[in-house]
Amino acid sequence: MAHVDTTHAPPAHEPSAHPPEHEEETTTGINHRKLLMWVFLGSDCLFFGSLIATYMVYRGQSVVGPYPKDIIDVPITTISTFVLLMSSFAMVMGVAAARNGNQKRLVQWLIATIILGAIFIGFQVYEFNLFRIEGLRYETNLFSSTFFTLTGFHGAHVTLGLFWLLCLTIIAMRNPAGRPSGLDVDIAGLYWHFVDIVWIVIFTLLYLIGGFDAGPEVEHAAVQGWQWITATIM
Amino acid sequence: MSTNPGHEGALPHDEHGGHEDAGMKRFFFGHVPEGVHGGLKQYGWLAIFLGIITLVEFLIIVPEGLQGSSVVIAPLVILSVIKFFCVVAFFMHLKFEHPLLWQIFVAGLILGLVVALSLVVLFGVLRPTPRAFSENRQEPFVHHAAEEEHHFEALVIPTPCPVGACPQPAAPGAAVASSPGQALFVGAAACSSCHTISGVAQGVLGPPLDGIGSASANRIPGYSAEEYILESILEPDAYAAGTADGLSQDYDGNLMLSTMAGVLPSLSDEDIEALVEYLLSLQ
Repeated sequence: MAHVDTTHAPPAHEPSAHPPEHEEETTTGINHRKLLMWVFLGSDCLFFGSLIATYMVYRGQSVVGPYPKDIIDVPITTISTFVLLMSSFAMVMGVAAARNGNQKRLVQWLIATIILGAIFIGFQVYEFNLFRIEGLRYETNLFSSTFFTLTGFHGAHVTLGLFWLLCLTIIAMRNPAGRPSGLDVDIAGLYWHFVDIVWIVIFTLLYLIGGFDAGPEVEHAAVQGWQWITATIM
Repeated sequence: MSTNPGHEGALPHDEHGGHEDAGMKRFFFGHVPEGVHGGLKQYGWLAIFLGIITLVEFLIIVPEGLQGSSVVIAPLVILSVIKFFCVVAFFMHLKFEHPLLWQIFVAGLILGLVVALSLVVLFGVLRPTPRAFSENRQEPFVHHAAEEEHHFEALVIPTPCPVGACPQPAAPGAAVASSPGQALFVGAAACSSCHTISGVAQGVLGPPLDGIGSASANRIPGYSAEEYILESILEPDAYAAGTADGLSQDYDGNLMLSTMAGVLPSLSDEDIEALVEYLLSLQ
């Protein structure tokens, strides 16, 4: 098997090229910045949990259309979901490259991640614009308000991530021997993967399950969900 | 083949992969030391796996009979949970991190789930609908700048009562249903959101229904009271009783029609019969 075995030595053995991950001693042994990112991601679960719950509560409560089944395009969104998953793959490869001190590969994987993320945002812009043309505006009904709020905030997260990755790419291109460190890329990667897992939940609930809702006929959707939960547990 | 002699028990930090199969198994299923990362092979296989799951999810809802069906909820949720934790464990490499990070993330996740579940239970299960909940408590909208009020005429919800004089919802315990029809009137059918019946419900929009059982017998020539009430429920705008019953002059002709569109699908024929029977009893 072809194998470039140049990376057995930990990155810390080359301090000039790879700044040590644990830049400071901490009582937990975890880098403060990394710990902070995980705490932020934990709190972001609450943020998106509330938005998702709001969507589920108002699901099937709209009294005027367009309803999800009139307007949601599941095949297109399946493709964009796949694109975002692949961007996560590119990101994790970028993290691996950064940890191995391979700046060239890092830049390549970061650019791949940015392109895939931009394609995902492109799909979302296309979808939002199509909805607008079809008459589904933010204030049209409960479905549109909750849908645009949830997916809009997710899109904003992805867009912020794109800027972050773009900054890292520029830094990596300008400093081929040093920054960004493995930790810098690692933390950005955590954020990027998080927007991916949020989308996994959104895709399932809003598109695969809720994408065929037909307005008031889907009354008491939350009750159905509750019955399903109790039936599954008991 | 990589053996990584310098780090016992650890996978090599190799971007290009190249681990033995045993290494792959250990990466995904075994115990590996903190801080270890995978390579192209491990992450590539995981990306393919995640792509396949996404495809399976899509294929599940391709048959039209399964679209929107509750049958697909369980498999779709399970598949998305698998994807979720695969990304968290391997792409976010939480499997190989300090346990404290797991605890922090899972704590946030559980809190998020509890908040979500609480909201769903509060507004979706304990109340018929958020709409029914709010309609019972609505106050008329009056813009602060009276001179600009004409700009908002089209938006003002028609209400028959002035500010501060709206009848309040019945006190807890006052509306103990005496029949299945009455229970539906104040409950699932949400009639009481709009209609008033003395001692039972205090609606703010529709005409009061005291004595409707006898009044409806003479409402339309050739219609029995039962036929009239049934038609008024199923086709509210077929005949408008006018202001003689106290109907608001601002009443939007489509209001009950659009409201009932959200309620009728949840009522069985027996429910509607019970409702008619109850309204007939109001002499």
